[in-house]
Amino acid sequence: MKLSLKITEALIREVRKDLDRAHPYAAERVGFVIGRCTRSRSGIIIFGSRYERVPDAGYVEDHSVGAMMNQRTITAAMQIAYSEKVPIFHVHTHFGKGKPKFSGIDLRENAKFVRAFINVCPEYPHGALVLSDTDMSGLCWLPGSSKPRRIDQFTVVGSCLRKTL
Amino acid sequence: MKQTLIRQSFLGPNSDAILDALTVSVVGTGGAGSHVLQQLSHVGVGNLLPIDPDKVEFLNLNRLVGATFRDAQKGQKKTTVSKRVANSINPDVRVRPHSKPWHEVMDVLRDADVIVGCLDTYSGRSQLEAFARRYLIPYLDVGMDVHSVGDHYVISGQVALSMPGDVCLQCMGIITPDDVAKEAYGAAGGRPQVVWPNGLLASAAVGMLIELVTPWFRSESLSLLRRYDGNRQTLEPDGWMSSNLRRECKHYTVAEVGDPHPFWISSKKKRVS
Repeated sequence: MKLSLKITEALIREVRKDLDRAHPYAAERVGFVIGRCTRSRSGIIIFGSRYERVPDAGYVEDHSVGAMMNQRTITAAMQIAYSEKVPIFHVHTHFGKGKPKFSGIDLRENAKFVRAFINVCPEYPHGALVLSDTDMSGLCWLPGSSKPRRIDQFTVVGSCLRKTL
Repeated sequence: MKQTLIRQSFLGPNSDAILDALTVSVVGTGGAGSHVLQQLSHVGVGNLLPIDPDKVEFLNLNRLVGATFRDAQKGQKKTTVSKRVANSINPDVRVRPHSKPWHEVMDVLRDADVIVGCLDTYSGRSQLEAFARRYLIPYLDVGMDVHSVGDHYVISGQVALSMPGDVCLQCMGIITPDDVAKEAYGAAGGRPQVVWPNGLLASAAVGMLIELVTPWFRSESLSLLRRYDGNRQTLEPDGWMSSNLRRECKHYTVAEVGDPHPFWISSKKKRVS
């Protein structure tokens, strides 16, 4: 079963523009891509439908990590998942070119807050995305599964159509 | 670069891989669709999904590329002809034909990277565009008509790219709610079709598709609409569309994507039934 993510060029541009902004004390920014999904003959397709910024006050001042969300931020994202019944994907960027990889800290933290989204909206997949300036990678927890799956394919739809594996 | 595609290497150093990984569905494999499928096989698109419930009839032979007299005698499925033509050009192309209305194979259609619509009803084209918008699939619409004007006939048509996030067929004035309600094509006999406008419009559609997916050049904005005047034998970019770069669709939003219901639960229910 193939797992794909589709997003418009305009939306991914909005995400990158937000994550690129300097923060008063956090070393990097994070955000949430709100999704939708469907089944196809080959698998599951997740669509990015909008982006939710994390306000400046939504971070913990912790210099041991690039960015640490506070409980209020996580609760706000949980509220979206719960009330709208939508997939939520945490997103941050490592900048640079090529295929980005989640760090060890990313993997540890992803597992914590994605669990929170699953608890309030178990009927949808949730996950995390990491961007570079040219590409992206992602992990997705499918309903009923305790382990994440790698997202196999990304398609950016806009002034051109770009598919990456 | 594949040896068979060496003459089109200007499309980009990895254009062969891009095209091979691409999945294109052609909905309606008659007059225009058969030309589109033939050309997509030539340029090296790796995955083709021809969808059409119809069978070859004698009245199709004036325009259906690859169909034979024998196909009409046998009442061969149009999608079988599509597969035969595609694989005779490129045995490696993965063709999955579906001889059904597209509404019955929507799970297949959701896997398409691009949909080329060659339908001959306004409602069908409008519904297919709405489907493509919901699943973030670029939709290329090929339309042709013959009108009676005074004592002669006028051939007209267009190729339009309905891109998620950009203007739709209704914004472009190609399909109006009135068209869908009346469902009245031109007055030159039932579903008038001839081979040369089909070929010309299909070629334009394939050109627009190649512009969309390969890095061969980047214009300031994508070609979204080309209008065909069959009596003057011209195919031109629409002036308003080309000059208006701050276009906005009034009918679709990118927030309305995917299934509106919890797909995981509904699909389980479906399996049980």
